[in-house]
Order: sequence, then structure tokens, then C-alpha cells
Amino acid sequence: MKNKQFILILALTLIVVLTACTNNNSKTTPTTSPKESNVVESTPGDDKKPNADGPQKGGEITAAMFSPPDNQFNPIFYDSAYDANILDLVFEGLVEQNDKLEFIPLLAKEWKFNDDFTELTYILNQGVKWQDGETLTADDVVFTYKSIADPDYTAAGGVRVEYVDKLVGYDDYVGGKSTEFPGVVKVDDYTVTFKFSEPNVTAISNTAFPIIPKHIFKDVAVKDMPTYSASFKAGEVIGTGPFKLTKYQEGEQYILERFDDYWQGAPYLDRIVYRVLDQAIMSGMLQNNELDLVTRPEGIPASDADDIAALPNVKVLEQQALAYQYLGFKLHTSTDESKWNDPSTWKVNEKVADKRVRQAIAYAINRQGFVDGLLFGKGTVIDAPFPEASWAFDAKATIHYDFNADKAKALLDEAGYKDTNGDGFREDPNGKEWILNLDYPTGNKVREKTAPIIVENLKDVGIKVNLRNPRDASSHFAIIEKNNTDLDMYLAGWSLDSGDPDPAGISLSTAPYNYIRWMNKDSDDLIKKAMKAPEAFDIAYRKQIYSDWAKLYSEEQPAIILYSGNDIHAWNSRLQGISVKPHTIVSSAHLWWVKQ
Amino acid sequence: MYKYIARRILQFIPMLFLVSIIVYALAYFAPGDPLTGKMMDPNIPKDVYEERREALGLNDPIYMQYGRWLSSVSTGDLGMSMMYTGKSVADLIKARIMNTVYLSTFALFITIVISLPLGIYSARKPYSLLDYSTTTFAFLGLATPSFFAGLIAIYVFAFQLGWLPSQGTITTIGLTGFDLFIDKIKHLILPGFTLGLSSTAIYMRYMRTEMLDVMGSDFIRTARAKGLSNNSVLYKHTLRNALIPIITLLGFEFGTLLSGAVITEAIYVYPGIGTLFLTSILNRDYPIIMAINLILAVTILVGNLLADIFYAVADPRIRYD
Repeated sequence: MKNKQFILILALTLIVVLTACTNNNSKTTPTTSPKESNVVESTPGDDKKPNADGPQKGGEITAAMFSPPDNQFNPIFYDSAYDANILDLVFEGLVEQNDKLEFIPLLAKEWKFNDDFTELTYILNQGVKWQDGETLTADDVVFTYKSIADPDYTAAGGVRVEYVDKLVGYDDYVGGKSTEFPGVVKVDDYTVTFKFSEPNVTAISNTAFPIIPKHIFKDVAVKDMPTYSASFKAGEVIGTGPFKLTKYQEGEQYILERFDDYWQGAPYLDRIVYRVLDQAIMSGMLQNNELDLVTRPEGIPASDADDIAALPNVKVLEQQALAYQYLGFKLHTSTDESKWNDPSTWKVNEKVADKRVRQAIAYAINRQGFVDGLLFGKGTVIDAPFPEASWAFDAKATIHYDFNADKAKALLDEAGYKDTNGDGFREDPNGKEWILNLDYPTGNKVREKTAPIIVENLKDVGIKVNLRNPRDASSHFAIIEKNNTDLDMYLAGWSLDSGDPDPAGISLSTAPYNYIRWMNKDSDDLIKKAMKAPEAFDIAYRKQIYSDWAKLYSEEQPAIILYSGNDIHAWNSRLQGISVKPHTIVSSAHLWWVKQ
Repeated sequence: MYKYIARRILQFIPMLFLVSIIVYALAYFAPGDPLTGKMMDPNIPKDVYEERREALGLNDPIYMQYGRWLSSVSTGDLGMSMMYTGKSVADLIKARIMNTVYLSTFALFITIVISLPLGIYSARKPYSLLDYSTTTFAFLGLATPSFFAGLIAIYVFAFQLGWLPSQGTITTIGLTGFDLFIDKIKHLILPGFTLGLSSTAIYMRYMRTEMLDVMGSDFIRTARAKGLSNNSVLYKHTLRNALIPIITLLGFEFGTLLSGAVITEAIYVYPGIGTLFLTSILNRDYPIIMAINLILAVTILVGNLLADIFYAVADPRIRYD
């Protein structure tokens, strides 16, 4: 009996061990011969090399997303990045961005400003067909923007008012005081003029929104649009893009078919199938040629990137994301929450008020270590809130804080923060206990791991940090946006819009998203100056101001920019014709083709 | 009996009411609201969210919000989701609930058909090779987290052997009739086994222990002394008595059938109630949280009622008046 039992246990153990081994083997085999050639450098347009065979018609590709879309396929109401995956193939705006993030014609073939930069007139391409055969006209453009300006728009769940709130007459129209919206005017069937109340530096970016069909939605009240069938039903979602959403199984598969009458020529691919997949099996599917494209929003996790780059049938592309993670200081607080945007009621948070303290913390944190250790090198340390992908990025403008505990200690000593009672932690200049409360959210695994390391790094220079339990994102952001709070530092991240690098939305002292409650007159002045017409229409002028602002930011350290991770995309090498842009690889999909 | 059932069902009403108040309060007092998680884009003016809050009534005091919810639910309207723009709670649940029912029923089926016979057999021949194997299997099953078991299963059966699909509920859109049925069954096998694995292990152990326990009791000795056949003792006398606690457990199990299985659903991308429930909690989507909680509460109550009724079937000595 005893023997039998022993043999059985042995057998079972063996099975487990063997399964574990096979699992390991196949995972490590491909990495034994990493081929550098598979890693595409992020030079734009690199993939457009002339091919001897030329593009071939037909075929289908499978693309992955790791969470299901919300199934809101009306561009003016969607707000999930997963829905955007589908919308990017179905809908188009008047203009798009090229590989330098400059705006280039799309549905509009040209545009021009009036003399004082308050009016922007677009000439539309003729012969652009909606996917149901109707022709695109200026009416569709006017209809789209008028719908976003509608009084019921935000209550119905729309959030894109940034595209209309600078237009003439917006306030009256949205407030119900006027039934006319003079901000966007049809001149003739193929000419449309946007009128801004002031010269608008970001006019083109503000008019780049995807256009929705008037003939489909004209009889639908804006408040009913999100629930209207053409906003979500396969076959009824109509855009001007190269692919039609013809079928889907909610939460699993989304099938996009070729639109033959696409105005830039019929797409080469017959079909793009977006499948919702678990991230854990993605690399296996890439290896088995069951998956052709992995891109936004998550892309390939940094930890898997090298293994996947080593697969002979897969191309991997790394790009610095238009996003960054930061450690924010709560610089001001106030007890009256209702006046959160009135800096005169704010009170300085003395614990982090001295900029030498913030600089010392920047020196004390091993940011390069986060990139090397947690992101496997797939990221960059930056010192101002402009990621490298942005045209406002200027590495020379900022002060670089290397990982240097000695500098940190010297700065803290200089600021008067010394350990007076011998407990190993510094007290504030008055000899009182000095503990910084740090809050952080769950969700982003890399960011979660940085929190305890930051505590350790700061402990090494004698700063005592009270790391509080992480919270889910909803709770975290509900807490950090409060003025009446005892937190001193928090972790968070921002994803930036590719349209324009203007930091006003986050860094202007009165901006709602200025969660750190930074109030610096020089900073406010620079941010406003960078958007002042007419000088600001010259990009060199703005570049200079943003360099000055970045320098000020890196010196003041109102927040420590921890790192900017890379977006890592992967596609099967049979997929050709992808154009690489800093903000996306999903554009001009009608030129994608597969080798058969 | 019918009186008893009617009385029990009437008791559901105050209980559901209480549950709804507690859940609503818990969801409401958690920091954040359905819009906080969305405010990640600095280009979107914050007033937009303020207007949306006003439109959703999120600025009203809790009793008003609860009252509104209650009056709309009492007319059968579960309301609109707050995080999914333009989606009704009923539609969101409708799109997922059948998947959850299929998956849970399949898992429960696997649990019952594997665990009960094995449990009975091990009890009949305790300390036999089969008993040891099932015991070992039970502990392995209990000790393996479902995400790990799931990944191993995907790796072996989907990637290496290529026998079964591992993601979603169907292979392609457009299958009909018998083909669709077979395709759906194929997609159920891996998640079903993954989900059923740990409860199979548990039930096997329970069944074995209960059987052994009853076998040792006096009336079994009497039965044997009367000269009844082994099978008669085992299936008529022992099994019926041993089933009572199992039925209680299955009653609870029935209640959790509709709650979905977050981890299993996630790794197999099997769109069900579990994932929706988790997302709705993380996003404070009160109408969805409330709707799923109500469904759960009802199934748990019904499950327990069914268990009570089945006691009487398994053991005629139990009567309800």
C-alpha cells in the first residue's frame, strides 16, 4: 500500500514537472537566437520599402485588443480607446497628422486662414462616398460640429466640447439662447468655414474631429444619438473610412470588411478581424501566425518585447509614447472645496514648499532604475512633461536629475532638513517631525511597483514616507483632485493628445487637472504667451517658449516626471504597408496588404 | 408544502429590499463616482463631467438617488449604465447572462458527474489506489489557482495539441444551427473544466467523508445485520443520508451560478457577468452593480429554497407544513 501511494505521488509530480518543462522550453527556444534585424527602428516610413512583388489584393488579418470595446461606435460619443481601434478604420476627419505630427489633408484637400486667423476655410475632396453610397458634403461637416455644440450633448454623455468651445456663438447655442450656431458655416457643397471667437492657434487640431453622416442622424435628437442603432449596430455604423464594421459578437470579435468605393481607392485587404484576447496568450498566437497585429492601447508589455522580437515571423516596433508617469506634490491645499480653482484661497503645503526639497527628491529617486528594471529598458527618463515624441520636447532645455543620493542629501541639509533626534530620519527646519504621505493607484502594474521603491530611495536620504494602501483608479482620482487633503505626494500618469502640446490643461494654475495645485506666475505667463496669436502661429516661437517653460518646470519640480514608457507594437511580417507615426500605426489602412 | 414555498417566497421581498439598501449605500460611499475614472484626458473640460453628473443626478443626496432607482426598478426598468455611454443595463446583462449560465451550468455538471461518483467510490474502497489518486487529485485541484490551471490548459490543449479553442464563445460569426451548437460546446470545455476543477475537488472530499461518516452509523449496521445487499445498503441507506449536506452546498452553488467567474472569464475571454460586475464596481456604475446584485440575491434565495425542497425528496422523514 505504502509503495503504491509513493509511486502514484511520484507519477503525479513527474507529470507536473514535465508540463512545466515543456512550457519553459518552447518559451525560451526562440530567444536563443535573437535577431536584431527583426527589431524595426522607429524611423517613420521605414516599412514602406519598395517591394519587388508589389502589393497584393485580398487576404485578411487578425488584430488583437486585450479588453472589449464599449460598443459605442459613434465618434462624437465614444470614450474608450478600444472603441477607437474600430473607429480609426471606419471614420475620418478633415485632416490627419503625418509622421512629424504635422496636419495634412484627408477629407479636406486644402485649407486657408483669413488674415487675423479667426476663420479657417476647408475645401473638401469631391467624390468622397459614405459607406452606404451617399456623397460627403459640407453639410455633414456642419452637422457633426453642430451636434457636438448641442445643448443636450454633454448630458447625453458626450465629452468632446474642446472641438467646438472656441467657435463663434458656442455659448449662446449651448445655453439655448440661440437656435443658430454661426461657428461653422457651409459656403457651398464642398466648402466649409470655421469661425473662431479669437485667433485660434490650435484651429486645425480643433477641426480634425471625425465626421459623422448627416443623412443617417439628421432626424435623431442629439440626446438619443448614443442609443440610436447607427451608433452601435454592425452594418448600420457608416463612415467614410476604408473598412466597414459589418458584423460583431459583443466582447469577442469585430469584423471589418473592405469598402470598395473608398475614395482613396479600394483597400487591398478583404477583411480585418479585431479579436478580444487575453494578453497572456498573445505571444503564442503571434508565434503560431494566428495573430497579425498588436497595437494600441496597451501593445506588447515591456516584459515580453524581447521574446517577441526574437520570433522570426514577427516585426516589433518601439516608440516613445505620448504619455508619462509622474510623482506629483500637493503644493497647495484649501479647506473650501468649492473654491478649488481660486488660487487666492489656497494655502501652501509647507511640507513640500521648498523647491530644494523637491529637487532633492528628484535626485534621490532612481528613475533610470525604473526604466531599466521595471520597463526592461523600454522607456526614457524625461525631466519635463513633454515626451520625446512631442515637437515641444527639448532635452537641452531641462536640468537633468541623475540618481545621486549625495546631491539629494546636500540639498536637504542646505534647506535645513536635518536629523536632529538621531532616528535616521530628517526633521523639518523647525525640528518637527517630517513625514510625507504618498498615495498611489492600482491598475498600472509598473507604476504600482515603483511606489515602494520610491519609499526606499527616499529613506536612503533620510526622508520618511508614509506609503498608504493603493486604491483603485476611481477612488484614487477622487482623492487626489481634492484640495482638502492630507496627501503630500501621489503617483499618476498622463496620456497626451497628439494634436497639440499646449500644457495649459494640466499645468495652468487654474486648470482643473492641475491636481498638484501648482501656482507659479512665470509658468502661467509662459503657457499663455505660447498660445498668443499671431506670433504663436510660428512654431519656432512656441518651441522656444516651451523650452523656457520646460526649464522652469525642471528647476521648480512641481512634479517629478518619472519616466515615459514605450509603446510597443508588433505585426506579422506578412503584413505590409504599415505607415508608422509617432501617435499611431493605424492610418491609411487601405494600403495595408498581406503576402500570400 | 405549497404553503411553505409561498411563505418563503414572500420572505424574499423584505430581504431583497434590505440587500438593495445595503449594496446601494456601500457603492455610494466608496470614493469616486462613475465619472472619476474617466477624467484622464486633460483636453476635456471638467465642466463637461459636472454637467453629466447633474444629468445623471449624481449630485443629489443618496436617498433621492436610491428612491429614483427603486421606483424605476419596481416598474421593471433597470436603467441606463453610467459608464457605458448609451447602453442600457438590461442590454448589457442580456448580452452576457446566457454565456454565464452556459459556463456555470457546464462547470456544475462537470463537478457533479465527476465528484459524486468518485467520492462514493473512494468511500466504498477507502485507502485503495483509486482513493489515493482521487485524494491527490483533490488536493492538486484545490492548490492550483484557476488562472494557472487555465493557462496550462490553454497551453497544452489549445496551443500544443490544437484540440480545443481557447478564446471566446465562438470561432467565427455566422455559424448556425447544429454547427453553432457544437462550436459553442467546444468553447465551453476548457473554461468549464477550469472553473469546475476546484469545486470538483471539494465535492469529492465532502462526498467521501459524508459517506464514510454515515457508513459508520448504527442504522447502517442494522441494515447490514438484516442481510440487505451491499448495493441496497450503499445506495438506499447511506447515499440518501450522505446527500443532505451536499444538497445544502449545491444550493449555495446554484446561487453563485450567475455571479460569473472573473478570472476564468478573463483568461478565456468568455464575456460573462463576472467581468461586467467587476468593471462596474471599479467604475462605480451603480445601476449595473445594483442590477447584478439583485440577480445574485434572487438566485441565492431561490437556490436555498430549492435545497430545502430537495431535502424532503432525499429524506422523506423531512416534512414542511
